[in-house]
Amino acid sequence: MRALLMILIGSVTLAAQTAGPQVTSQDLLDGLKDPTRWLTYGGDYSGTRNSPLTQITPENVNQLSAQWTFQTGTLGSFQTTPIVADGVIYATGFNNNAWAIDARSGRQIWRYRRNLPDDLKLCCGAVNRGFGVLGERLYMTTADAHLLALDMKTGGVLFDVELADYHVGYSATVAPLVVKDKVIVGIAGAEYGIRGFIDAFDAQTGKKAWRFYTVAGPDEPGGHTWPKDSDAYKRGGGSIWVTGTYDPQQNLVFWGTGNPGPDYYSSAREGDNLYTASLVALDADTGKLRWHYQFTPHDLHDWDSTQVPVLADLTINGQPRKTVLFANRNGFFYTLDRVTGKVIIAKPFVETTWAKEIGADGRPVLLPGHLPDEDGSKTCPDLGGGTNFFSPSYDPNTHLFYVTARETCATYFGYDQKFTVGDQYTGGATSRPRDQKNFGALRAIDPVSHERKWEFRYPSVSASGVLTTASGLVFAGDGDGNILAFDSRTGKNLWHYLLGTQIRSTGGTTYMVDGRQYLLVPSGSALTAFALPQR
Amino acid sequence: MTRSGSILVALALVSATAGAARLSAGAAQPPQERPIVGNPAANNPHLGKADSIRAGMALYRIRCADCHGMDATGYRGPDLTALLATDVSDERLFHTLRKGVPGTEMPSSDDPDDDLLLLIAYLRKLATPAPAEKTVGNVENGARLFGAQCASCHRVGTRGGRLGPDLSRVGVARSRAALVREIRTPGEWVPPTFETVTLVTKDGQRIRGAKKNEDVFSIQVMDTRERIQGYQKANLQEVIYEKGSLMPAFAPGRLSDSDLNDLVGYLTTLRGVDVLVR
Repeated sequence: MRALLMILIGSVTLAAQTAGPQVTSQDLLDGLKDPTRWLTYGGDYSGTRNSPLTQITPENVNQLSAQWTFQTGTLGSFQTTPIVADGVIYATGFNNNAWAIDARSGRQIWRYRRNLPDDLKLCCGAVNRGFGVLGERLYMTTADAHLLALDMKTGGVLFDVELADYHVGYSATVAPLVVKDKVIVGIAGAEYGIRGFIDAFDAQTGKKAWRFYTVAGPDEPGGHTWPKDSDAYKRGGGSIWVTGTYDPQQNLVFWGTGNPGPDYYSSAREGDNLYTASLVALDADTGKLRWHYQFTPHDLHDWDSTQVPVLADLTINGQPRKTVLFANRNGFFYTLDRVTGKVIIAKPFVETTWAKEIGADGRPVLLPGHLPDEDGSKTCPDLGGGTNFFSPSYDPNTHLFYVTARETCATYFGYDQKFTVGDQYTGGATSRPRDQKNFGALRAIDPVSHERKWEFRYPSVSASGVLTTASGLVFAGDGDGNILAFDSRTGKNLWHYLLGTQIRSTGGTTYMVDGRQYLLVPSGSALTAFALPQR
Repeated sequence: MTRSGSILVALALVSATAGAARLSAGAAQPPQERPIVGNPAANNPHLGKADSIRAGMALYRIRCADCHGMDATGYRGPDLTALLATDVSDERLFHTLRKGVPGTEMPSSDDPDDDLLLLIAYLRKLATPAPAEKTVGNVENGARLFGAQCASCHRVGTRGGRLGPDLSRVGVARSRAALVREIRTPGEWVPPTFETVTLVTKDGQRIRGAKKNEDVFSIQVMDTRERIQGYQKANLQEVIYEKGSLMPAFAPGRLSDSDLNDLVGYLTTLRGVDVLVR
């Protein structure tokens, strides 16, 4: 009896010690300062995916070996960036499955599965890109266009908010961005004639705080860039499906927006089609637009600008500049001023045939012959782009930007298509030209001069993101299922491991548990953790 | 053009936007084969309709033209204008589009029925079809030539070599024109997994063969003696990617026009081999 009492008292004490929010807003601001944690999609608010960890080095990385593999046993591929907090990995997967996993052993703690309707309208599979976290809550979007709050301890649902009606083509795959007391998400579905938006919700109550439409309405600023007296804007696309970044000093969130709809048919939507294929800078508290920059005015090649806007403080011509680095699906790499949204420098980082350059006014100088029509026209890059949703990395130690590049071309077709609610609405399609040899590469680019410092070529195109560490390493996946490590200064390949299926979206994340640095890589429907041998 | 739109679209979307995502979905989840219920090609509402035919054309260009040619007279795949000149029924066309042709590059389709009906509407509209291909030449002499010249690398049923593609069903997979082209100039198009490579080992040994697979670090080949070999590239001096085919070009000096005609005649009779043990 006395023993039992002792245990009871003990557990009460323990409960008291662990009470209180597990992850605070300050923790999110601190980013990767606590090396046991990876709390946001990009590791921290800047989206640099640059870890301060140094246990794994260029000298010892060749000893890196697999410690465990977590097999989800589900169909579909991971595109998630797992959250790591206090020894537990939280990962979302295909078909809105999600797991909590012991970060040391790879053993499951809990599993969540959402029952999805059979009549989902998805262009590209029921993928999911990860959780956001605040307090003791995890936030995820769902393929049927909801936002969920889950209990971190159990996976139980705390609230469920409908973002939009999935029946007419809305869906959601993005990892939420948590800023202060708000959860910010966006909607996808531009292949179904939707009107895109970014929404913010109160993290506690799930009540909507603000909305920003990525397609300007007739009476709004930017509305003149859509056909007059037409409802084209109502199906104008502008999906949001890759997580944005946050600059606390300016209190601005930065989100890249998707392609206009229909994807390929020009006459359906004459004009620049703001704010599609753009970067928008919004006030984090109100959702008010501070500035925008449109990478591809009147895009006709399905070049969503849903890449990660990477925030970097650079020295340019001797002056400190707050910049945002953006390697775009359209083939150009941009260094923008993140206070004004103006282009500092922009150059192609892959073979790009549709525009000669970015002019002084910030607009691309178009080359003739790239209008998709019924006969088809060949353009490089292909619709998958010079790069895509996979995260790049910026390393402030080497001052280099690392990106998975795709060297591709496509024949683009465009034609008039009648819009029917709930049907796919792209006004065209693409095919791969005969004898087109695509390949991929990891490229290291100086974000000030845009000079390519090194590249490592892959025989096939890759969809892997990139991770850098302060010890001078770059991790990335090739197109054939390898995870590779490179010397971040020279590009020398130092290590690789064949995971057996392509790595998509995340080129690995890293965290410390019990004094060991782990590299965590999602590929296919498995998570594999690597570490150095224990001595 | 309601449905037609979604067709085009559906095709487009194979790799479209949230884009590469679909790739991943596709990789892990092979398309579910749609069952054929009744005769979906009966009462095809798209036949003769200009809008539908245009949509069908777009579909055709994206999905079919690479193998069957922009004008449908055949490239690698058979001449469809010849097929359409026969009494082939729409039900049969639908079945082939839906199920594909096993043992050839013609894939099955999981697209909506309506998309396939649009394709049929377009195919039926194609300009004056050429007369049907008939077996021509001396098939017996063709078979003899095949045994002497081709069988060391190509297999029919359970006999023949394995360095080149299996030809057991080449009669349904290739048009006559494609067969002639591939015999006279085999380097013009080399199928994946038969591309020519020469590996040079550190001690200068050269291994020539057909590339089965490769990544940054390794390469897998079948050498000219049909040995399957895998190498770490780090252990090789050089990997030489050759543009041509391992198959020699059978120019007229090597194979007369008359013999070529007989050989192609024999190949067009190859329509599959039953290996079921009864």
